[in-house]
Amino acid sequence: METQDVAGEGYSLDLTQVGAGTEVRVSRLECPPQTCQRLREMGFCENALVTKIRGGADLVCWVCGTRVALSARLAKQILVEHVDGRS
Amino acid sequence: MKQDGVKRWVAVIGNPNAGKSTLFNALTGLRQRVGNYPGVTVEKRTGTAFTLHGEAIELIDLPGMYSLLPQSPDEKIALQVLRGESPGVPRPDGILCVVDASNLERNLFLVTQVMELGVPVLVALNMVDMAESRGVRLRPQELSEKLGIPFIPTQAHRGKGLVELRAALGQTLLHPGPRQWTMPPPLAVAVGQIAAAWRDSLPAEGRAEGKALELLAGSDVGPEGARKLAQAWRERFRKEAYDWSAAVVHARYEYVRNVLGEAGMIGGTRVASWTDWIDAIVLHPVAGWGVLAAMMVSLFVSIFSIASYPMEWIDSGFTWAGQLLESQMPAGILRELFVNGILAGVGGVVIFLPQILILFFFLGLLEDSGYLARAAFLLDRVMHRVGLSGKSFIPLLSSYACAIPGIMATRTVEDPKDRLTTILIAPLMSCSARIPVYTTLIAAAVPVALVPVWGKAVALLGLYALGTGTAFFLAWIFRKKMLGGGSPPLILELPPYRCPAFQTVALRMWERALIFLRRAGTVILALSILLWFVSSFPKSSEDESINLAGSYAGQLGHWMEPVIRPLGFDWRIGIGLVASLAAREVFVSTMSIVYHVGGEEGGLVAAMRGAAWPDGIIIYSPLTCLSLLVFYVYALQCLSTVAVAKRETGGWGWPAFMMLYMTGLAYFAAWMVQIVGHALGF
Repeated sequence: METQDVAGEGYSLDLTQVGAGTEVRVSRLECPPQTCQRLREMGFCENALVTKIRGGADLVCWVCGTRVALSARLAKQILVEHVDGRS
Repeated sequence: MKQDGVKRWVAVIGNPNAGKSTLFNALTGLRQRVGNYPGVTVEKRTGTAFTLHGEAIELIDLPGMYSLLPQSPDEKIALQVLRGESPGVPRPDGILCVVDASNLERNLFLVTQVMELGVPVLVALNMVDMAESRGVRLRPQELSEKLGIPFIPTQAHRGKGLVELRAALGQTLLHPGPRQWTMPPPLAVAVGQIAAAWRDSLPAEGRAEGKALELLAGSDVGPEGARKLAQAWRERFRKEAYDWSAAVVHARYEYVRNVLGEAGMIGGTRVASWTDWIDAIVLHPVAGWGVLAAMMVSLFVSIFSIASYPMEWIDSGFTWAGQLLESQMPAGILRELFVNGILAGVGGVVIFLPQILILFFFLGLLEDSGYLARAAFLLDRVMHRVGLSGKSFIPLLSSYACAIPGIMATRTVEDPKDRLTTILIAPLMSCSARIPVYTTLIAAAVPVALVPVWGKAVALLGLYALGTGTAFFLAWIFRKKMLGGGSPPLILELPPYRCPAFQTVALRMWERALIFLRRAGTVILALSILLWFVSSFPKSSEDESINLAGSYAGQLGHWMEPVIRPLGFDWRIGIGLVASLAAREVFVSTMSIVYHVGGEEGGLVAAMRGAAWPDGIIIYSPLTCLSLLVFYVYALQCLSTVAVAKRETGGWGWPAFMMLYMTGLAYFAAWMVQIVGHALGF
């Protein structure tokens, strides 16, 4: 399922919707400010490249040279786009 | 050294798991605890390091942090020290920033913030071996030139680069130059105005920009004019929906990427590693639970099987000592004190040292290998259902060793309600002090010959599962029904696996052995002497059992008996319950004294199995043993835990609640065991 981009800039996927092993670019964070701040500090900035290593209920990503585990409900708030421009 | 001859203070800071404590230990020669998971260090520790010229520098090891906008209590502690606001610690004269060279992008993000604190900065480029193995080409000299601060390559775990680091620490540390990252236009105007207002009030302040950013982030420390201006800008940004904090993070990362790109150090693209292979199994939704269960079963089987040999040796040693004293000392009060008081009390507890060391050996392997963070990941779903995040699992797992470090480890939990809930349930995780009680009562409940080792292991596992399951159930009540609010989402760094360092694991076991033996030699020795006295006097008869019944302890036990009788406990168990309020393992030493068994484990079990009510019915029936075991699973019999809970929650209210609910639960559950057991015909 794809998420409507509220800014009207097209459609975005969230991080749970991409397959394991896929490299994506973060397009927007839609979580509470404090959580957004921590995500950005850990490398999940807008435009940052993220590789999803494992999917499932909770998932593991590779960002800024480290593995970071995220709960699925948080991953749903991280909107991403494919690196090659597909969305 | 400072010109006035005063010792310099240098704070050691960095991202979690960057190797700060390992470097701190290498520089100071101390044995600060290290581990392969984020959040090992939760409080500040100090130690003395020496420069190449012999100057003594006081190093302050701080909890890891991802940024200077703290979200968890441990990060707040670190920031307090860096700002010079921590009681008893002067403002640092310099900051040693430890960065993981294999993860420079994120680590240098923190460095850009640290450079704005107005304190000289030195960077230890740690784990260079790991970075190079990932294909990152390190150019420390270029980084030094670009950021204007020294970068020293190190491999703290191998002791490499320490000479260069000591030499750099010995030189006059220089202040970083002006900010190099480009502030986005709307923010630049705001920061410029706030910084100017700050300088108007405090002209000597040389880092007004950094202070302006802190004020924008909500700090209330600063001149009134600057604070009001920051408040106004914050309000304006909110109305304009301008996320200034996101803009700052972007700008810093942009700067870091440019620096790394220009230095030719962008690299380290991800390649599948053996960490991924192991993760494929241990994080698997089915196989992962199998691995966790297998590890737990191995632990409990080892506690009974491997530990039985050294326990027999210790047992023989205390038996021999008792016989020696009885043969060499004349009969009298002094001999009674040594044999029935000190040897029985201390020996009764020391015998369990091998089992406790095995527990710490396994915990050490889990911590040092990097598995602990995976276990937290695996348990996140379970934790989420009870209203907590997987992050709370690490303090809870630490509580299997001891609730005190477990409660302190909750400092890594950002959400205050999550943290409080974790503190409230941590003592329900069976700690190592319960092992002597559990194993003694399991042995008393069932004949040794009838139950194989794995049977005892399953019984022990069941007790741990009972405590853990109840903890999760109560977490659900506390978090969802009492405190309210949703559980925070999991964000957790998973470190790469590494082969556990024998030295680290052995050191942890050695430290725990010392703590255990020190307790045996102080608290338990003192309580044993006291218990021997109150259970021996006043002398009313030559018959030991009559004398005990009339002693001070016996009188207390008899007074208590009507209250504990519904649980199947007699007055002698009552003495044990009161004595073990200080520490749980004192129950075993108390029973050894009460039954006059002179420190022999087998003797205590035999004495307990032979104990009977006045009508001849045995006291330690399997049902009563189960009742007593359940009581000890739930009861908060540890004054040190109460004290640390008071410190961490900031008052007596929550520790009092903890004591009340756990004691009430212990009593009720033990009573239920009796009621259900009798109803089933036991």
